[in-house]
Amino acid sequence: MKKVRIAGAQGFYGDSPLGAISIAMQGAADYLMHDALAELTLSILQKDKIKDPTLGYARDIEVHARTLYPIAFSKGIKIVTNSGGLNPESAAEKVKAILEKQGIKGIKIATITGDDMLSRLTEFKDNNVELNNLDDNSSYYDSKFPPTHANVYIGAQKVKQALDEGANLILAGRVADPCLALGIIAHEFGWNIDESTTQEDFDRMAFAITIGHILECGGQASGGNAYSEWPMNYSLSDLGYPIAHVNEDCTAILTKADNTGGKVSRNTIREQLVYEIHDPTNYITPDVVVDLSNIKLEDISENKVSISGIKGKTRPEKLKLCIGQHEGFVTEQFFFFSYPFAYDKLQMFIKATKETWQKLPVQILESRFNIIGVNGLHEDAVEIPNADELNQRSELGLRIAIKHKDDRTGKTAIAGIVCLGLNGPPGVISVPGWGNMNRAMLSLFPCLIPRDLINPEVKYVEV
Amino acid sequence: MIQKINKMKTIKLIDIASARSGDKNNVCNIGVMAKSVEDYATLKKHLTADLVKAHFKGLIKGKVERYEWDSLESLNFVCHEALDGGASRSMRMDSLGKNFSSHLLRLELTISE
Repeated sequence: MKKVRIAGAQGFYGDSPLGAISIAMQGAADYLMHDALAELTLSILQKDKIKDPTLGYARDIEVHARTLYPIAFSKGIKIVTNSGGLNPESAAEKVKAILEKQGIKGIKIATITGDDMLSRLTEFKDNNVELNNLDDNSSYYDSKFPPTHANVYIGAQKVKQALDEGANLILAGRVADPCLALGIIAHEFGWNIDESTTQEDFDRMAFAITIGHILECGGQASGGNAYSEWPMNYSLSDLGYPIAHVNEDCTAILTKADNTGGKVSRNTIREQLVYEIHDPTNYITPDVVVDLSNIKLEDISENKVSISGIKGKTRPEKLKLCIGQHEGFVTEQFFFFSYPFAYDKLQMFIKATKETWQKLPVQILESRFNIIGVNGLHEDAVEIPNADELNQRSELGLRIAIKHKDDRTGKTAIAGIVCLGLNGPPGVISVPGWGNMNRAMLSLFPCLIPRDLINPEVKYVEV
Repeated sequence: MIQKINKMKTIKLIDIASARSGDKNNVCNIGVMAKSVEDYATLKKHLTADLVKAHFKGLIKGKVERYEWDSLESLNFVCHEALDGGASRSMRMDSLGKNFSSHLLRLELTISE
């Protein structure tokens, strides 16, 4: 029976490459699957692209191309990513240059594009394509904010095609994360993943998507972020990223490489499975709707979990489109207050800050004042200790955040209260560099568009 | 006349379950995984969507839906309007709602014995 080993090599943009490197060095997988695009990431990449039009891809590929890719390619391991982000073609050129500089030849890099809808928003408006916000049903056409980027979540077809056509490395744009695994598995087992009509096709695709979902967050499936395995008595600094040994009969074993930290157990896999799934009978992806409700997950032996029992349903007619909008700016600053009277001083500081802003020519749309160590993470959902108790604390932190329309307000607002260092309560410090001045808020407007409007493309660059 | 005395006991959620949360637009999904089949029965009976919504006070502005996932002894709570507009728009420190799981594990269930 055909098998393929796929590693969840990267969980997010900024993840460490060490997990992937140790897998490549051991030859413990046939494919490295890299998920570089969380919902928020495209906003971050767009900020890069605004400053430099050759950017817009996940910049860690430059490090990967120097450290990870050579090891992987030398062992015949293929790499499938959505690290192309907003600029897959530029990403491919950068990687090609880095590989060539290391004397590496004979690598076929595939870019997948066709997810970028920014230039088509006017066309959609002219053709009355409905773009309603998935959360509050408002129409995008009523939005006051200028669009900065717009990407639709596309499926696995081009991933499979690129692998069928001999690609060693795929740098895709906004391919939906679990679809990276579907493309790999469909290529390896020769499955049809175009418009499917048989229950067998649906079930196969649903199984492959589930593998992708388990792998897409890297170490979060293999012992990281695991209340289920608390107190987590295993090494974290060399956490072994999850590897799926996938069988053609739609079963798989989830495991990790030898001599690595972390843990793979029914608990860790369960935890990654429930994550972001919502209704387990209807996990919607571009290629198939997955029914995970009768999944069979079992501990086989140490760090080996078996999986089967996944069903599928026909794919959705519409695909998710995330439109980025420039909604304003956010400025943040931190202040710290010492015993004695830390809480009273903090309140005094907040009062003086608010009064000062009333007098300055600043328009603050929204503000937040969080007490670090007390209500920073959970805001009003937690009861805060009373003033007497908080005044006993050795120190309290204050986080001030403001939202504003233009990029000057932040500086004015913070500069206006820095004088409280001398004019305000005693025993206060502020470290200017810890704050974030005028960070552009590129907010996301999520909606759906008919899939027949999309035309993804594969192109190749030879090294 | 004999009156039946209703004995109540408190169960800490953290003793019978683990949890993980994540974001999708302005929706936070909290997965709650029971430690055993018996614990799952307790969760199913007592950990309601209403209880979860109340526990989060002003953090969750919309409805909370509960999905039962028997094959994983887990419940998924889908919390709407929970992320201050979504991670890309949020003014919260925990803009992704990664700590909704942690906060939920603080919850105590009061049940009759």
